[in-house]
Order: sequence, then structure tokens, then C-alpha cells
Amino acid sequence: MTREFRKSAPEPLAPVSFDIPRPHQAVLANGLRVVIFEDERLPLVSFRLSFNLGDVNDPAGAMGMTSAMTSMLTEGTGNYSSRQLAEKIERLGAGISASSSDDFTTVSASSLSLYSSEILTLMAEVVLHPTFPEDELDLYRRNTVEHLKFQRSQPGFLAGEQAARLIYGRHPYATVSPNAEDIERLDRDKLVAHHAATLIPNNAMFIVVGDVNRDELIAELNDHFGGWQQGSIAGSDFAATPVRDKRSLTIVDRQGSAQSNIVLSNLGVKRTDPDYFPLIVMNQVLGAGASSRMFMNLREEKGYTYGAYTRMGAKKLSGDFEATADVRTGVTGDSLKEFFYELNRIRDERVGEEEMADAKNFLTGVFPIRAETQEGLTNLIVNQHLYGLPEDYLQTYREKVDAVTVDDVQRVAVKHVRPDEMAIVIVGDAGEVLPQAKEYAESVEIFDTEGKLKKN
Amino acid sequence: MSETFKLTPLKIEEYTLANGLRVVLNSDNGIPVVSVAVYYNVGSRNEREGRTGFAHLFEHMMFQGSANVPKAGHFQHIMKAGGTMNGTTSSERTNYFETLPANQLPLALWLESDRMLSLAVTQENLDNQREAVKEEKRLRYDNQPYGQIFDLINEMIYQNFANAHSTIGSMEHLDDATVEDVQEFFRIFYAPNNAVLVLSGAFETATAKQLIDTYFGDIKSQPVPPSLDVSEPVEVAETYREWEDKLAPFPAFLLGWKIPQRRTPEFNALYLAGKVLYDGESSRLYQKLVKGEESVIQLFGFTDERRGPSSIFVGAIPKPEKDLSKIRETIMTEIHDLAAHGPTAEEMEKIENQLVNDAIRMRQSSMSRAQSIAEFALYDGDPTIVNRDLDDLLAVTAKQIRHAVGKYLNTDNRALLDVVPTGNGVGI
Repeated sequence: MTREFRKSAPEPLAPVSFDIPRPHQAVLANGLRVVIFEDERLPLVSFRLSFNLGDVNDPAGAMGMTSAMTSMLTEGTGNYSSRQLAEKIERLGAGISASSSDDFTTVSASSLSLYSSEILTLMAEVVLHPTFPEDELDLYRRNTVEHLKFQRSQPGFLAGEQAARLIYGRHPYATVSPNAEDIERLDRDKLVAHHAATLIPNNAMFIVVGDVNRDELIAELNDHFGGWQQGSIAGSDFAATPVRDKRSLTIVDRQGSAQSNIVLSNLGVKRTDPDYFPLIVMNQVLGAGASSRMFMNLREEKGYTYGAYTRMGAKKLSGDFEATADVRTGVTGDSLKEFFYELNRIRDERVGEEEMADAKNFLTGVFPIRAETQEGLTNLIVNQHLYGLPEDYLQTYREKVDAVTVDDVQRVAVKHVRPDEMAIVIVGDAGEVLPQAKEYAESVEIFDTEGKLKKN
Repeated sequence: MSETFKLTPLKIEEYTLANGLRVVLNSDNGIPVVSVAVYYNVGSRNEREGRTGFAHLFEHMMFQGSANVPKAGHFQHIMKAGGTMNGTTSSERTNYFETLPANQLPLALWLESDRMLSLAVTQENLDNQREAVKEEKRLRYDNQPYGQIFDLINEMIYQNFANAHSTIGSMEHLDDATVEDVQEFFRIFYAPNNAVLVLSGAFETATAKQLIDTYFGDIKSQPVPPSLDVSEPVEVAETYREWEDKLAPFPAFLLGWKIPQRRTPEFNALYLAGKVLYDGESSRLYQKLVKGEESVIQLFGFTDERRGPSSIFVGAIPKPEKDLSKIRETIMTEIHDLAAHGPTAEEMEKIENQLVNDAIRMRQSSMSRAQSIAEFALYDGDPTIVNRDLDDLLAVTAKQIRHAVGKYLNTDNRALLDVVPTGNGVGI
């Protein structure tokens, strides 16, 4: 006999408001923008220096240059060798890391606030005075070439490589990784020049979250970074993304596969597109999480996969829409059927009011959880600034999600989810996959795991 | 610096309901979110022979509905409230957890209590989740290069079935699991007196206690589950196995040692020895192998902490044409050196700072706090260890590290797994 209070979900308690505090902002004389969140909850500090350029800004014919330059920042500086840097940083219990993505280049550091000055000094050394030693560069080249081979054993990499090529064509987003020849070609002089040309203060922002005093910190930043010379970034002219007009099938023949790694993709939107908010609501309904339609269908109903999802990858210049799942080989065709069923349904049928409200409630409610950690808060702020979103973006995020209507969702689904022109990429056993999948596409091509065309 | 640094203790209140459910409250109003963690004292170590993978399959069944929550209703209720959730299974325990906006605390308690009270099990849902779990196994283990090596080496390190078999289990055993197995497992292990409930984050203590009493107070306790023997014989020789991996692009190897249980001084010393050997770019083995000899593509190591005999691993993916035995010799030379001389003063300073940093970073998130507290409550019967654990680790001396490395790692009593790539057309 179930007691009455158990029969339905309880009412929430009184809401507790949460507003992301507005941070302190400053601009150094050389144009470096600084954002500081004084957060005294714990004796920690997180620094992030982000440059508004990334792998797409590799010089012509020098693929992998930005990534190599960034990785080499911590491999030797004016004052310290690679090993000395690692020892100095880790002896503080701290970390400094540097990496590049398609659009951005980032140097991060974190430590106990007790060591704030020490880690900031090392961070400045790494950013401003890297020496790119020949022997470290040589090791980087050799290790990277081996990593390039290694990633070809991983189905996710192989699927992503083909999907990017098919969706972005000659646009630089098409290349997810340099090749061995690109890496062999890197030389020290070019890295030094690329560092000087691209890591400039007037194309960067410095975010600090933690137990710091902002006036003292600004003074320290001026000491370390005040003498950093401005530069200019040449405008980039990227090839247009291709227009696709039919559905294609690309199989990567990975022998011995226990599953088919499926990616369905079409071109999407850039991060500042006005359709962004309706799209994230649509994506939440369709496939972003464990309560979305794709997961409910392909996993909870059919048991084809451990998880099926969709993703709106909105980047600085363009973006893509993807539906993905790893399914057992024998149900590859059945999975495509369900994928296309859901992709068509979100276009053809209006989303119900309850499903719509659930999706919006998730997107607005989960916001404070993302601000719990210094890293989470930093991510929110970085994205706002690097993508050039409005000043009140974080403060108005919830209103913008709430304003999305059922009509908006259907409109953006029709516009941005386009099953008839999707690229289907499947990494798996080609002999098993082809007979199941070919009926879903107008053309077929088969690659090996080296990325070479086997047959079309 | 450890002398000058004192961590502000987490506020901990613990009590036990009449039905045996242990409750721990950690209130912290910094951000208006609350995390709820329920830890059941059952993991793959409790599985019987012929049913490997069952504890994890059962974890999936906990999301398939209960008397008042439909199949998949758990996901939907949490997500539409703006929350995140999951469950995981290890050898030691099965945990379920969610983080929600603070005012949704009643929802989390309702959902967790409904499945503890009245899990609904159907053949259809079992068949469906069996397939989902098999795909999880394929995704994480069978379709990944080197995906199976940790399960394989555990079978070499441990002699006792409870410790040796894998948590993901075998396809055959997953096929053999029945609805009756699920019901039996639920009755034996998913009782309030075999669980710990932890709340961490923004809540009022009086309100939380009242809600907990309402939702969990009337769930009946069960007889204590059968006792478990996880004891292991002492190793006396090296064990060796060669594993043919058709998905691996390069040869690789994994070394493993059986070591004492978690939170013993010797386990703690070996955990810190691991930091010296393989943690970070200043670690000894990184500097020797990735730099120095430049012989490996990837180096990794970690400790697997258990309530019974535990283990420590060091593995490497060498560059092509490199001599694997020479790389292992370098590793053993470093271990020998650590056993002979112990860590340096600089290494001890690094360890101290890293421990303090790790402990404070863990405290940022309500979910990390809840999980850490739940482990101490479940494994040690004392959640306040969360406020002493750092001190215990900081108290470990260089001499203790030296002795523990000498006793447990600088020996022939290790397991060695060699991975031999056999695929063609994959990788190089």
C-alpha cells in the first residue's frame, strides 16, 4: 500500500535565487583585458590566459604550428629548462598547462592562493619567454608522430576525422589533426616567429577566479605583462564550407571492431548565430542528454547502444550538428532507421509543451551547478568573452532560454537538422556495415584506418 | 608548509535512522545547489561465481522504475529539475548520486527512497538493460585498444574470486542473469541498513532531517548480508601473461603489485611513492622514460584502493623498436633507488603541496564532498575522516615511503602483462 506522499513528485522548496556576480574588469595599457572574480570560499586561485586565435590560424602550409607552439611553451624558457619548469611548478602543488583548439589558444594555471605570486611569475615566463629548445622540439616531433599513429587505433578519432572533412571541405575546421609530414616540417625559427606574431596582449584576455585581492593582482599583472608589446592580427580569409545536396555514406573499415561508431552530420551554425538559443532547446529535446529522445529510443527502448546523443557544435566561424552512437555491429542498419526517424520527427512534429518545458528547465536549472568550481566559472566567463557575446550574457541566459517557443524549435529544426544532406560516417567492420547501411545513402565510399580511400 | 596550513574542517553531522540507514549531513551554503549520494555496501566483490557483472547490471536496473517512478522517470525528473545524476559500480560499492538546485532536495530524496523501497523489475526492462550493458562493455573494453588489460592483470594479481574478477563481467554471465537474481540481490543488499545517505550543499538541517525521516523512515531493514572473505595469499613469484590485442597499434606492458588495503600507513606510503614515480612531468619515470631515454609514447600509473588487498600499477606504451625489457629495467632501477634512498626533500615538499591542493580542490564541488564523505562513512564507519585524511597523508615520512617501496615494489612478486598487437590494417 503506497502512502499518499509517495505517489507523485514532491513540490520544490522555496526557490533560492542565484545570480552570477559581475566580475571586476580592467584593461592594461597594452590592451590585455583582465577579468577578476574575487572568490574567498577556498584558498585557491585559477588563472586563464586565452588568445582569440587557434589552429585555424596556422600559417599556410604549416598545419599543426599553433598546437606545437603552444605545447612547447612549457618545454624551456629564458630562465628554466623543461625539467626545471616541471619541478618548480609541481613543487608548489600547482599546474600550468597550454593547449590550442580550432578557435582559441589557452594557457591555464592553478594553485593554492598561498602561491599565487609564484605561479603567476612562472606563467608569465612561459607565455613571454619560451625558448623552443631544439632538442625539446625534436622530441616533440618524434612523440607527436607516434601519437598520430596511436589515435588511428581509436574509432572516435577516425569518425571525427571523416565527418569534419565531409562537412567543412576546404575550410580549416575540416582538419582535426596535422599529419606526420606537417609535424616533420616544423622548425624552431618558424615557431619563434609564430609565437611573436600570435601571442599578443591585445588579442587576449586574462581571467582570474579565486582568493585574491584585485588591486594587488592588477599591480602584479602590470609588473609581469605590462611590457608585453602589442601586435596586430592579419585578417583571415577562409574557404567557404561546401554545399551538400545529398546523403552520403562513408565507412572506415576498422577490422576487428566490436561495434559500429556512427556519426550523422550536417553543417550547423556559428556560436553567435541568432538561432543559438532555440537550437540548444531543440537539441536538449532531441538528443543532448539521458532524458532526450535519441537516448530514450536507441538505448532505453531498443537496447542498441550504451548511449545515443545529438550535439550542436557551434564554433567561432561555423559549426556542425551531429547525431552519434556506438552500436553493436549487427544493428547498424536498425540504428540508422531510428536515427532518421527521430531526426525527421523533430522537424515534422511540434514538440509537446511538457517536453519543451522539461528541456528549458534543465538548461536554466543546471546553470548554478556549473558555477560551483573555479574551473566551471572560468569556462562560463571565457566563452562569453571569446565569442564576443553581450556583457549581460550570463545574467540574461536564463531569460533567453525561457523565451524560446515551440514554433522556434520547429523552425530551427527544419532549418538546421537536414537528414537529406547528412554525411553518414561509420567506423567498423566494412563487410558487415555496408550491406546494412547502403540503402540509407545515395553514395558510398570506404576508407582504411590510415585515411586512404579504398573504394567508392 | 604543512605546519602553517590548516584546512577549515567540513561541517559534518551524522546519525542513524531506526531502520539502520546511516545519514551524513554536510551543509555549505556557498552556492545554492545540493548533492545527494546514496552508497550501497555492495560491489562486484559480492558477486557469486557465474554472475560476474551482476552488481553493475543491477545498478542499471535502479534506473528502470519503482512503484511510483516509471522506467526512465528518474532521468527525466532530475533533468527537468535542472539537475545532473548518475550511478557507478566498483569492486567495493555501488553509488547513486544527483546534484540539483537547492530547492529540489525533496525530489532527490523522493526518487532515492522510492527505489530503495520498491524497485520494479520486469523481464522486458532486464533484457533491455542487459543489451545496454553489453554495449557499454563493447564501448569501453572490447572495442578499445588496450581496453581489457586492467581486468586481465587483476586476474593475475588476485587469487580470491571476490577480488580477481572484473566488474563489467562476461557476456555469458550477463546473459544468465534472471529477474529472480535481481529481486534476490535487491532484498539482500539494497536495504537501508546496508547503505549510507549523504547530503552536501545548501540546505537547512532541520528541513533536511524531516524530509529524510519522511522518505526513508518507513523502509524496512533486512538481515545483515552474508559476510565476505576478501583475504589473499601472499605472493611469492612473478606471474607473466602475454595478451594478444587485435586493436592495439603498438606493444605495451603493464606491471602490477598486490599491496595492503586502503588507509593503512603502508598503502598511504605507496600512494605517495606513486606520486614520486609516475605523477606529473617532474616525476622520476616521466623524466627517465619520456624525456631522458625517450623510449615511451605513454607512461601511466595509479593505485586501486580497496577495503581488502589493493594494488598499484605502472604501465607504458613504448615507441616502436624499443626494447620493452630495458624499459622495465629502468622502472625497476628507479624503484630500487626509491627503496634504497627514499624520496628527496624536494619530492616530499612537492607531495605535501599536491596533497593540500588536491584536498582543497575536492572541496569546491558539493558532489565531490558528498562522495568523499560517503566513502569514509561506508568503508570506515566514520565520515569525519574527511577532515583528518589529509593530515594522515601529510604525516607519512620519507622513511615510511622508502620502507614500503622496499617491502612491496622492489620484489619479484609482481604481475607482468605483455600486450602483443595482432591486428592487421589497424594502426601501423
